[in-house]
Amino acid sequence: MAFISVKNLRKVYKIGNEKVYALKKIDLDIERGEICCILGTSGSGKSTLLNMLAGLEKPTRGDIFINGTNVAKLSEKKLARFRQENTGFIFQSYNLISQFNALENVGMPLMFKGMPRSKRDKISAKMLKLVGLGSRMKHRPNQMSGGQQQRVGIARAFVAKPNVVFADEPTGNLDTKTTDEVMRLMVRMCRKYNITLILVTHDLEIAGYSDRIVHIIDGEITSIEKNESVYSPEDDEKKESGPDNNTENSEVSEQ
Amino acid sequence: MKIYDMLIICLRNLWRRKGRTLLTVIGVVIGSCAVIVMISLGLGMNKAMDSMLSSWGDLTAVTIFNGNGSGMMFVTDDSHYSGNSNKEKPPLNDDALEMLKNIDHVSYVIPKITLSNEMVTLCSGRSDRYRLGWGEIYGVDFSMLEKMGYEIEEGAIPNEHNYKESIIYGNEITYNFRDTKKHGNASMTAKQQLPDGSFTKPFVEPVGGDFKIGINNTKKPNEDGSYPYGGRGYEYKLTGAAVLKQDPNWETPYSIFIDIDLAKEIIESYNRLNGVKKAKAPEYSQVKIVCENIDSVDAVQKAVEDMGFTASSMAQVRSQMQGELGVIQMILGGLAAISLLVAAISITNTMIMSIYERTREIGIMKVLGCFIGNIRLLFLMEAGMIGLLGGIIGTIISYIISFIMNTFAGSAFAQILGFGGDGGEVSIIPIWLVLLALGFSTVIGLISGYYPANRAVKISALEAIKNE
Ligand SMILES: Nc1ncnc2c1ncn2[C@@H]1O[C@H](COP(=O)(O)OP(=O)(O)OP(=O)(O)O)[C@@H](O)[C@H]1O
Ligand SMILES: [Mg+2]
Repeated sequence: MAFISVKNLRKVYKIGNEKVYALKKIDLDIERGEICCILGTSGSGKSTLLNMLAGLEKPTRGDIFINGTNVAKLSEKKLARFRQENTGFIFQSYNLISQFNALENVGMPLMFKGMPRSKRDKISAKMLKLVGLGSRMKHRPNQMSGGQQQRVGIARAFVAKPNVVFADEPTGNLDTKTTDEVMRLMVRMCRKYNITLILVTHDLEIAGYSDRIVHIIDGEITSIEKNESVYSPEDDEKKESGPDNNTENSEVSEQ
Repeated sequence: MKIYDMLIICLRNLWRRKGRTLLTVIGVVIGSCAVIVMISLGLGMNKAMDSMLSSWGDLTAVTIFNGNGSGMMFVTDDSHYSGNSNKEKPPLNDDALEMLKNIDHVSYVIPKITLSNEMVTLCSGRSDRYRLGWGEIYGVDFSMLEKMGYEIEEGAIPNEHNYKESIIYGNEITYNFRDTKKHGNASMTAKQQLPDGSFTKPFVEPVGGDFKIGINNTKKPNEDGSYPYGGRGYEYKLTGAAVLKQDPNWETPYSIFIDIDLAKEIIESYNRLNGVKKAKAPEYSQVKIVCENIDSVDAVQKAVEDMGFTASSMAQVRSQMQGELGVIQMILGGLAAISLLVAAISITNTMIMSIYERTREIGIMKVLGCFIGNIRLLFLMEAGMIGLLGGIIGTIISYIISFIMNTFAGSAFAQILGFGGDGGEVSIIPIWLVLLALGFSTVIGLISGYYPANRAVKISALEAIKNE
């Protein structure tokens, strides 16, 4: 079985007597370390699929296996443990806790695992340096730009070295330039730790960062397309050695 | 999640909404203050009542007064009487004494025989110049004097061999001796303090002086209403042995004590002289039964009454008064409880508001893998902390209120509550009350937080995804 395997998945919302088929019948396999993009127009059911993959919602029918566990059948308690061990989440609106500073926000998944403060602060600090926010550790979310906040969000998603990271429109609130930087950062992190990334977007440009693009229309997969010209961090390294690498520095160092 | 982390988050959240937290805490402060102060007043009342009662008599004692027409008079306490008066009363003699001793929880029994002024004349000095005007002579077991709690002011408890030749005085009664050779004021002495601090001397010498008890001949009264007394075989010579300190129950100052065996002999002589037919063994006029503790008094009294005696005890008065105080305390406590209830509701309200504000945060926590148990605990902690904080501040303020009441309003309160302002505390806050209040306010917080915490737990992880 593939690392992630979705079988016969259906989600129906009932509103009064009316039934909304958000997902009709989804079958999908994703390999470990793969960056998979779910692409579709608004209302096509992308978010619904992602939420179900992440176990935030229960499907009406069907199974979702992640690393051998049927997420659709887990109890609340087991789900929490499963999330601690397997998943990270990147939100469109960052969702940092406003009264925590960057370091504390990044350390949240480790805190829920029960890791002592000193240990998780060390790991979180390393993670923040990795996303280029080494000097913003004590900053609160409202003292940072959107791009910086999303970097903190990325650091938080990867800090516990999960098997899979889910991201729902992670760049939806960012401008084009920052979008590029954030996307590159996410891809680099995934490659570095061999983490599976499932990315939801309606933007073809962003889909270009993934290995595979799953097209979804009205709750059905219409086609799955392999991305040949996928972005690779090595491209950057090559560029770095070249003459014009100005854009690169801005990604690693914080703005 | 570590408890330490939860505590930090909990404190931060409380701090984040300082104003609201403060207002909620104030509610608890008022509630816990009300409870502590009311209970402390109740404790103060109970203590005042106990000290008032013990000034009337020993709280652990049950006293039997002999009602069988022995013709003896005795002074009674203000005690409450009970018992079935229709019943034939058994004789209060040595056999009865033995039975009383065997009742459960009885420490010891102290029989007393009363020799009234009518029966005997007590005098001193050459040709009986100084005569006791008024005062009762009690026959008690001299070996029990210390057990009875009597303390010596002057002299010493007589030696066992001298029991029958000794007499012991209360510290006021000696001033009741009159000089029969004089008239009017000159025939009396009053106890007065002299400028040098000492007291005026009575006519007689209570320690070392010689005394005489003469049996009265009641068949032939003198012209002035007194009786002729004494004569061969009807006189007992005694030596003053000691003066007793005034006891807290005010039993001793106006009492005179002789040994119980001597008192029995005197009664027999009296009966012989006056032709009273008394074939039965001599009876005691009073028996004091001392119980092991206050709580056993009721049972002992019941047992004594079942034997047919008329018994009285302070415990009876005490429980009656306690009942009345209990009603007052319940009303006060009820008022306090209402304010605590209001505080509890306001904690719940605060917590619900706080959860409403933090819906998204809770969703995020769930998505990031926080256990629902931890989320519940986090909110319970917050509510409990509000309660504890309120309890701590409430305790401090209660101490201040209590101090103010005890210092400034003591006598005023005592008057309102109907207790003599004897300088006692109106409000008492023992350590157990503090611990109880802290525990209680924390528990109130936890209970108030229970429903909101469960609501928090039910918030869906999807809340984190929703765009506002
Ligand atoms: N809680 C819900 N109750 C009822 N219908 C819902 C609910 N959530 C989603 N839907 C419906 O399911 C369909 C898919 O919604 P979904 O949020 O997955 O779309 P999406 O592809 O993420 O769109 P967008 O790009 O706008 O975010 C929509 O028609 C939507 O109306
Ligand atoms: Mg969506």
